[in-house]
Amino acid sequence: MDLALTEEQKVRKQEFYDTCKELEKKKPPSFLGAETVFERDDCWEYHLHCAKEFAKKGWLALSWPPEYDGRGDMMDRVLFAEARGYYDIPGVDIFGVQMLAPTLLQAASEEIKRKFLPPIGRGEVMWCELWSEPNAGSDLASLSTTAIKKGDEYVINGQKTWNTQAHRADWGFGVFKTDPAAKKHHNMTFILLDMKTPGITVRPIPYLDGETPYCEVYFDDVHVPAKNIVGQEHEGWTVVNLLAGFERSGIDTIMSYIRALEELVEFCSKTKRHGQPLAKNPLVRNRLAELACQLEAARALAYRVADLQNRNEMSLMDAAAGKIFFSELGERLAFVATDILGPYGQVKTSRWAPLNGLWEKLFHDHFVTTVSMGTNEIQRNIIAWYGLGLPRIR
Amino acid sequence: MDLRFTETQEILKKMARDFLTTECPKTLVRKLEQSTEGYSPEVWKKMAELGWMGLIIPEEYGGMGYTFQDLVVLLEEIGRNILPGPLIATVTSTFPILHSGTEEQKKELLPKVAKGELILTTALLEGEGVFDASGIAVQATPKGNDFVINGTKLFVEMAHVANRILCVTRTKEGASPDKGITLFMIDAKTPGISYEVMPTTAADKLCEVRFKDVTGPKKNMLGKLDEGWPIVEMMLRKGAIAKCAESIGAIETCVEMTVAYSKERVQYDRPIGSFQALQHKFADMWTGMETSRYLVYEVAWMESEGLPCTKEASMAKAYVNEVYKDVAKWAVRLHGAIATSADHDIPFYYRRSKAADIAFGNTDFHREIVAQKIGLV
Repeated sequence: MDLALTEEQKVRKQEFYDTCKELEKKKPPSFLGAETVFERDDCWEYHLHCAKEFAKKGWLALSWPPEYDGRGDMMDRVLFAEARGYYDIPGVDIFGVQMLAPTLLQAASEEIKRKFLPPIGRGEVMWCELWSEPNAGSDLASLSTTAIKKGDEYVINGQKTWNTQAHRADWGFGVFKTDPAAKKHHNMTFILLDMKTPGITVRPIPYLDGETPYCEVYFDDVHVPAKNIVGQEHEGWTVVNLLAGFERSGIDTIMSYIRALEELVEFCSKTKRHGQPLAKNPLVRNRLAELACQLEAARALAYRVADLQNRNEMSLMDAAAGKIFFSELGERLAFVATDILGPYGQVKTSRWAPLNGLWEKLFHDHFVTTVSMGTNEIQRNIIAWYGLGLPRIR
Repeated sequence: MDLRFTETQEILKKMARDFLTTECPKTLVRKLEQSTEGYSPEVWKKMAELGWMGLIIPEEYGGMGYTFQDLVVLLEEIGRNILPGPLIATVTSTFPILHSGTEEQKKELLPKVAKGELILTTALLEGEGVFDASGIAVQATPKGNDFVINGTKLFVEMAHVANRILCVTRTKEGASPDKGITLFMIDAKTPGISYEVMPTTAADKLCEVRFKDVTGPKKNMLGKLDEGWPIVEMMLRKGAIAKCAESIGAIETCVEMTVAYSKERVQYDRPIGSFQALQHKFADMWTGMETSRYLVYEVAWMESEGLPCTKEASMAKAYVNEVYKDVAKWAVRLHGAIATSADHDIPFYYRRSKAADIAFGNTDFHREIVAQKIGLV
């Protein structure tokens, strides 16, 4: 076991941290975590700005092969995510950079790779995911939106939903039923499409706090070039699983929690209640220390996932465990922090809000980690079925 | 970064697993719990031949010269199987000798420890049962060139079979409780020492040790007069990590045994492991195991590298304490009534989860250290 970084890694890590620290200075005050990128115009602009800055350094193409202008390795990706997470800097498109790019590298044709990877690496094209449907959530394979081939095009009809960032994205990737007669899991194709294609209607859905991180997307005779697919026709399910396999370690989210806890600790040291700093209150001390321990555990497991991925080994179980753990830790953080803040825990960004309302925001936004990317209940099934080999009732 | 075990560690792990499976079956564990001694001298002798007591002792003192990280690998296996006896007590009491012993003390004690000829234990806790210096009241008062020790220690692991007792004494009253603490390595047969085994949850032979005018020879003082507390803190830190290592092994066994049982046990015409009510619990137990494991490996690495890790060690202990108790509790519940029987093996782990929680500082003790270290001052 060796957790040490090489000298080169230490140097790059420092550069990642320095750059993110610098970018933090331009962060708009309305930026309160990753979700605000999707929700607020100035945060989206800031995201695009950061993307350009990262692209200049080649950091959106970390671990890609050199022929697609890639540089660095998986470990660089991890260290970069750590730095971004700590300073809570956007600029890395979750859908394009983190999900689609590795999928394309592994499953797409040379033509598709050449066409779509470079703009992702340059931070020019932002993507969204078109998976869930009103009647196909966790059971995605039961989807019903069709893409019927006509000549050299697919014609798409139906509806997708819970599409984060769809109202801002340039392109979308999704799975559509291309062979309605075939059996489940062999009837869908993974298709890339321009979100400005005629026939697409994007409607933001208000989130539980009234903001709009995600949308529903309607398809009404949408014509898409048939060559814009990834993997084999009708075998999109394989690509879906491949993409889901590029699980992120969650290190960026975990680091953002670590920073947020540091700021909460500072707040507790400066803020007096009952004539003494909150930090002296034994209950506050115990609860915050408990969370700090759990954060360290989350970070240790994230490194385990990263270590497996660095060596191209399967990380299915640990990635699922990590996702369950850090997302539910986010819930606990939000609950404990808003509790410690007392009546101020309910105040949104304003002159009354402690820490700019960050914790009030997290009280809503933690669902994004527990519910999306495979609900935690599905993650538990993954551990039980595929990891522990427990029987599955069908 | 590479989180895999080294080849040496893989060999050590396999050797330990094979040895414990053969030499320490649960029938023996059960017998030892009910015995007065609480350990098997025959197994102890064989362990010494394998070099376990001397694992972290440098070769020049007759040990194996392995790292702290290697010790963690061994202890994980010991926790998996359960091995009653004074191994952790001996190993953790060795750290102060390595850290603060004089050359003479090292030469006298370490080779014998490595050979399995000396069982060591540490007498720290007293009536208050707290892990900080304020709980130390047992007095060592100067008499001629030596000291005389008076008072009662509690929860001293395996003291009744130990050859040497590292006694944490108060030698000076002062403004700050952690000043004026002195450590003595006392021969356990010194006149004036008496023992009584306390009945405990894990039947792990914690003893009350009474000192009545016991001579603490000056040459057996470990470290400097009045400056012993930092040595205790070091030992508590290493001991906490060592205990965590044992715990993650035990957690692993709880998960494995319960998953295996749930695949065999049929109710409603299907294995109970096919029900999601159980599956999701297993996923949580597994998640607890993996988070604990990599947290402990991280801290063990830091300790091995000599990096400061007081905060991280306390984080690990506070975290693993809770996971172990929770996993062991669910191991009992998911087995159903069968595992509430004393004849079942799972209760060994459940009962030990409480002992592991308390040893080297319970959750609240370590959370308080974490609170200070994260800046809650």
